[in-house]
Amino acid sequence: MNKSIYVSIIAVSLIFGLIISFQYRSNNDSTAGKTTDRYQELTIEKKQVETDIAQLEEEIGDLTVKIETARQGRTEADDAVISELDKTKLYAGLIPVTGPGVNITMKIDQASQAGMGFYNIRDEDLLKVINDLRGAGAEAISINDQRILATSEVRKAGNHININLVRLSPPYSIKAIGNPGMLESSLEIKGGLVEILAVNGITVDVQQSDQVLVPAYTGMLRFDYAKHVQRG
Amino acid sequence: MKGFQWIIAAACLVLGIMLAFQFRIASEINKTEPVQRAQLLASEVNQLKKDRDLLQEQVNSLRADFDRVSAGPQDIDLKEGLDRARILAGVTELSGIGVEVTLNDSNATLKPGENPDLYVLHDEDVLHVLNELRAAGAEAISINGQRLLAVTEVRCAGPTIILNRDKRLAPPYVISAIGDPDTLENSIKMKGGVAETLQFWGIQVGVKKMSGVTVPAYTGGTKFEYAQAAS
Repeated sequence: MNKSIYVSIIAVSLIFGLIISFQYRSNNDSTAGKTTDRYQELTIEKKQVETDIAQLEEEIGDLTVKIETARQGRTEADDAVISELDKTKLYAGLIPVTGPGVNITMKIDQASQAGMGFYNIRDEDLLKVINDLRGAGAEAISINDQRILATSEVRKAGNHININLVRLSPPYSIKAIGNPGMLESSLEIKGGLVEILAVNGITVDVQQSDQVLVPAYTGMLRFDYAKHVQRG
Repeated sequence: MKGFQWIIAAACLVLGIMLAFQFRIASEINKTEPVQRAQLLASEVNQLKKDRDLLQEQVNSLRADFDRVSAGPQDIDLKEGLDRARILAGVTELSGIGVEVTLNDSNATLKPGENPDLYVLHDEDVLHVLNELRAAGAEAISINGQRLLAVTEVRCAGPTIILNRDKRLAPPYVISAIGDPDTLENSIKMKGGVAETLQFWGIQVGVKKMSGVTVPAYTGGTKFEYAQAAS
C-alpha cells in the first residue's frame, strides 16, 4: 500500500515536471514581443529598400536622358557632363545647400565648471553628435562652417579640434539639414547626448529652423591613391 | 486505498488540463498572425533587395555608358572634376593601395560577474577607428563592403551594427581604406592609439598593409529630401 503510493507519486511528479518544463519552453518561444520586433524591423527595412528602389529608378531615368543628350553632339555632351558633375558635387558636399534643419550651439558652461575643474569639448563629443545627426537622417552637416565630408576627420589637436585639417575652437556651431523634429529629438531624447554632455558641463542648444545654410567644402581636393575601377 | 484513488484522480485532472493547454499553445505558435506575416514580409523584403541590386547594376553600367558616350578631348578638366566628385560622393568602385583593418569581439573568457558588454565592440569603437583612418588621410573607406558616405551613421543594434540606414553588419568587421599604407597603419597601431585601447578589453584589432584594396560603390539610392543646392 505505502509502496504503491510512493511509486505513483514519483511517476506523477516526473510527468508533471516534464510537462511544466516543456510548457515553459514553448511559452518562451512564442513570446509575442519577439515576433512583433521582427515584424517592425522588417517593415522598416522594407520601406527603406522601397525608397532605394524608387531613387535608383529615378537615377536610371536621369542617366538615360543624359546619355541620349550626350549622343547628340560635342556641346550637348559637355552640357550633360556638367549636369552630372553638379549632381555628384551636391552629394559629395562640394555645393552649399539649404533646407529645413537644426542650428546647434555647443559650448562649455562656465558657471557649472567653477567647482569641477576644466573640461574641454572633446573630439569624441563632436563625433557622437555628428553620428547621432546622421542616424536621424541628416543630409548635410557643418561645424563652424567646415562641411562634413565622407573623408572628414574630427581630431583633437591641443586645445583645438581639427576638421578637414582646419583648426576650430569652441563654441561650436553645428548646422544640419534634415527633418528638424527628428534631428532635434535624436540629441534631446532622454539619455541622449544633451543629457550626457550636460553632466560634463557642456551645454548643447538645439534650435529648429526652416532655413539652414550648410556651406560647401572649399578646401583642396586631392586623391593620390584612389583610382576608379574601370567597368565594361 | 481511498487516498490512493484521490491522488490518481487529482493527477489525471492536472495532467489533462496541462495537456489541453499545451496543445492549444503549440498550435497557436504556428498559426498566430504575426509569425505568418513576418515570414511573408521577410520573403518580400528579400525579393525587393534582389530587385534593388539589379537596379544598382543597371545604374553602374549606365554610368559607364555615359562616360563612354560623353568622352571627348575638350572636357578633360570637367572629367577630372567629375572623377574627384565621384570619389567623395562614393558612387563608383575604387581601388588602390591601403590597409585592411579587422575588428572582432573579445575572445577572452569572462569570469563570473564580469560585464560582457565591456568586451564587445561598440559603435563608438568603430567610429573611433574610422576617425583615425580619416585623420591619416584615407581617401575612401568601406566596412564589410559598405561604402562610407558623408551621411553614413554607425549604430549599435545588439551584437550587430547598422549603417547606411538598413545595412546590418555582424563582426568581424573588415574595414578597407585607400591611402598611404604606412600612415594608415601607424594611425591605428601607434602607442596609446586606438588599437592599444581596444586591446585592453581583449578586442581583436588587426591591421594589414595592402598593395591592392577595393572599395565598392555605395549601393542604394541617394537623394536629398530636405537639402537643396543654394544658389
